[in-house]
Amino acid sequence: MMFNLDKKDFDHFLKDLLETHDLFAPVQLTEGVSVFKKIDNPGEVSLSQLVPQKSAKEVFFPQSEVMFRYQIAGNQGPTVSEQKIERERILLGARPCDIEAISIIEKVFTGEDYTDVYFAEKRKRTTIIGLGCNHPLSTCFCSSTGGGPFNRAGSDLFFTDLGDAYFVELLTEKGMAFRVNKFFKEADSEDLGLMKEIEDKASQKVDRTVPVEGIEKRLDLMVESPFWDRAHEKCIGCGVCTFLCPTCHCFDITDEAVNQKGQRVRNWDSCLFPIYSLETSGHNPRPTGRERTRQRLMHKFNYYPKNFGRVACVGCGRCILYCPVQFDIREALVYASAKRGKGRKGKFK
Amino acid sequence: MILKKAEIETSDRLLRTLELGFKNKEDEESFRFIPGQFCELSILGKGEAPFGIASSPIEKTALKFTINKAGVVTTALHQIEAGSEIGIRGPLGNGYPIDFFEGKNLLVIGGGFAFTTLRSLVAYYLHPENRTKVKQITVVYGARMPGLLLYKDELLEWEKRDDIKLVTTVDWGDKDWKGKVGLVPNVLEEIAPSSENTCAVICGPPIMIKFTFPKLVALRFPNERIFTSLEKRMKCGIGKCGRCNIGHLYVCKDGPVFSYAQLEKLPKDY
Amino acid sequence: MVQQQLREKAKELLSNKTVDLIIGFGEWTLPLRTTPVFIRTPEGAKSLVWNSFCENNLTAYLHKFSRLKVGLVVKGCDARSVTALSLEKRFPNHPPLLIGIPCQRLVDRKKVKKAVKGEILQAVEQGDLLLVKGENFEVSLKREDFLYASCRSCAHRTPHQAHILIGDPVEEVSLVDAHPEVSKLEGMSPEERWSFFEKETSRCIRCYACREACPMCYCAECFVDSSRPRWIEKSLSPSDLAFYHIVRAFHQTGRCSGCGACERACPMDIRLTFLTQKLNQEVKDLYGFETGIQPEAAPPLSTFDPEDEQEFIK
Repeated sequence: MMFNLDKKDFDHFLKDLLETHDLFAPVQLTEGVSVFKKIDNPGEVSLSQLVPQKSAKEVFFPQSEVMFRYQIAGNQGPTVSEQKIERERILLGARPCDIEAISIIEKVFTGEDYTDVYFAEKRKRTTIIGLGCNHPLSTCFCSSTGGGPFNRAGSDLFFTDLGDAYFVELLTEKGMAFRVNKFFKEADSEDLGLMKEIEDKASQKVDRTVPVEGIEKRLDLMVESPFWDRAHEKCIGCGVCTFLCPTCHCFDITDEAVNQKGQRVRNWDSCLFPIYSLETSGHNPRPTGRERTRQRLMHKFNYYPKNFGRVACVGCGRCILYCPVQFDIREALVYASAKRGKGRKGKFK
Repeated sequence: MILKKAEIETSDRLLRTLELGFKNKEDEESFRFIPGQFCELSILGKGEAPFGIASSPIEKTALKFTINKAGVVTTALHQIEAGSEIGIRGPLGNGYPIDFFEGKNLLVIGGGFAFTTLRSLVAYYLHPENRTKVKQITVVYGARMPGLLLYKDELLEWEKRDDIKLVTTVDWGDKDWKGKVGLVPNVLEEIAPSSENTCAVICGPPIMIKFTFPKLVALRFPNERIFTSLEKRMKCGIGKCGRCNIGHLYVCKDGPVFSYAQLEKLPKDY
Repeated sequence: MVQQQLREKAKELLSNKTVDLIIGFGEWTLPLRTTPVFIRTPEGAKSLVWNSFCENNLTAYLHKFSRLKVGLVVKGCDARSVTALSLEKRFPNHPPLLIGIPCQRLVDRKKVKKAVKGEILQAVEQGDLLLVKGENFEVSLKREDFLYASCRSCAHRTPHQAHILIGDPVEEVSLVDAHPEVSKLEGMSPEERWSFFEKETSRCIRCYACREACPMCYCAECFVDSSRPRWIEKSLSPSDLAFYHIVRAFHQTGRCSGCGACERACPMDIRLTFLTQKLNQEVKDLYGFETGIQPEAAPPLSTFDPEDEQEFIK
């Protein structure tokens, strides 16, 4: 079902939603820096930055999350309390790459054996309004990883910016609930034509040449390759790529307590930090950057595909844009791929 | 769970065995596990850590864990008194492949305080209900010094039995020690158990495994019949937090027990 | 040209095995950026570049390569870090060979990005100008208007401590009276300062890019990772963020060369240099000391002399 939402009505549309839903959207913290946050009024929403630093994974898997709180009173056992989700939620303005990434994390967090209830509950109660990318960046390579700037998979509603209005598509049952929304007007063939034009133009622009096909098999042969001795050299071992990456999902669990009260918290962690795999005995199976860089790339392009059938990368380009030393994952893939030397020319030596 | 009893196992006072009882009868009845599995024990305010279950599935009324005092959580577990409450999540992990062991001989090799889940395994088979499931049981257990052996009373009982061959050894003996003196790999070589239709299970510090594994190979044990329980830093214990992975497998979920045939195909990330 | 001379020198050093490894800057995939390169062969020397985008402080890599004889490409500020580290006895085996380049002041890529509308696809330096091209635009910017704040206030652009100097020394004068962020801070009341600090650090995501980019942060166990005692939690609570940044800034006091690598590394654009530069200013005012300028001058916060004049220790 297709509709047209005039931009003049956009703020009213959001205000209306805020009465009944918790709304999460990109918010600009300072010029050039955006994150996904819960908003209280429509003026906070900022859709100008194509790739916000912190991705939409924050909405389902917050960087810092209290799992439960406890209180010990006297000689009784502890009373434990958990946060309940009060209202239905809407994620607005996430791009196809971030939305695809959420389904990648979902495969790990909601497996057959155990379910991460914190993630699962949030996912179940969220309606996702995706937003197409009219002007992909040169660092975007979603099309190389099986996605695209207008990939609608995972979105319940999908918006395309037509200039003075949004073209609205209702894609799922959750999306269909919006068909009676008073701000949605009927879309006409002109709107549809314009949307298709924007989509085609954007899809042509995105980099399709990053060699992700067959990378799993190639990396199988490279476990002890001298490639890793060189690949990790410039990496300084910070957490920028892992924290900003929409598919990275490692976390740490700690207890915070003051006297009789406390909470168990989970925080994002990074496999690139030295103490990530440090055992109490002092033994560290990944003692240097070589093993840690190998772990990161192999997890994304070899281990995850073995378990779930696709690479754990959506081509958003954040790791390329924000890495302090410009570790370019595309170059690493070009080097590792079978097409090295042919096709796309790599800069890695 | 409630702490029923606690006992210091070793002369250096770093190992303490906790006997935990269930708070609810339903939990006690429904808790089923196989040897080799582990549980995550919580002390609220300090944290949570994984420990192999040292009691065997036959001992129904309580769970035993042997704790090595090394960090924040383990120090707290050393300090709690009887009657204290401890959180538990489990049983987790894959456990030893008892189906695969059925009808075969069992060779158990343990070093130091890694013997916890091996005790669970051996006690399981020594129970009259299970004894016939495996044929010969040979146990080689070594520690640096006599005082550092775990479950000393139990070892004495096992020595008296004739349906298990138990060889204990120490690196350095003392004036009371009457058993063997020698490193585990050397003692294994000396005993030279037959590899025919035998499964070997080996748990111990990396240095011990490093020198014992070649001895097993020399005795013609194939990699499919050598098993080990791996240790790796864990947090969630259920394959979500990502940290315990070895290649595409998670030690908490797909392990901690692996055969060497499996480990051969994985990166040396342990 | 500096770049050409640099390549020739690097080639020479590697050919006669004066060094095992040269760490410098190379061209990479994005405009307005360079990337650290690790050259081991004379042929590889041609990857080295020198331009206004060489923003990293490569000294941070010396900790990783302490077993090799390293030739390091340094600007004025980087060389000061090396001096500071030498005083802390970080190079017992192989002190690095410094290949110094007097710095023309570097371009702030984040500032350039804000000045144009659309993605920058190409940026080329031409004299005083910076030609910036995108898909639908082409602008010519005055380079001087887009320098890093720490570069504008820098008066130590020539790496005097370098063993080899490539290019001519430059006029050692700051373009501004004081670091712009520091002046701003000094004009604020304590409440305003706290509010500014809180707002800046509220964006922090604990990625530790600032810590890893800094050559002076080399502790085997950083205080944030200590579990006994656990000084700080790993969450994003305001107290954790404030604690982390304040303690890190104070760990740098008397050791920071003002290179700005921390601020440049931050993905959330936190203006970290206001903190470090203010502390540097205080150290200069109180002790007359600037990090890494005099090779033998002892860092005031790590040393004690019975002749020390300060009142608070008498």
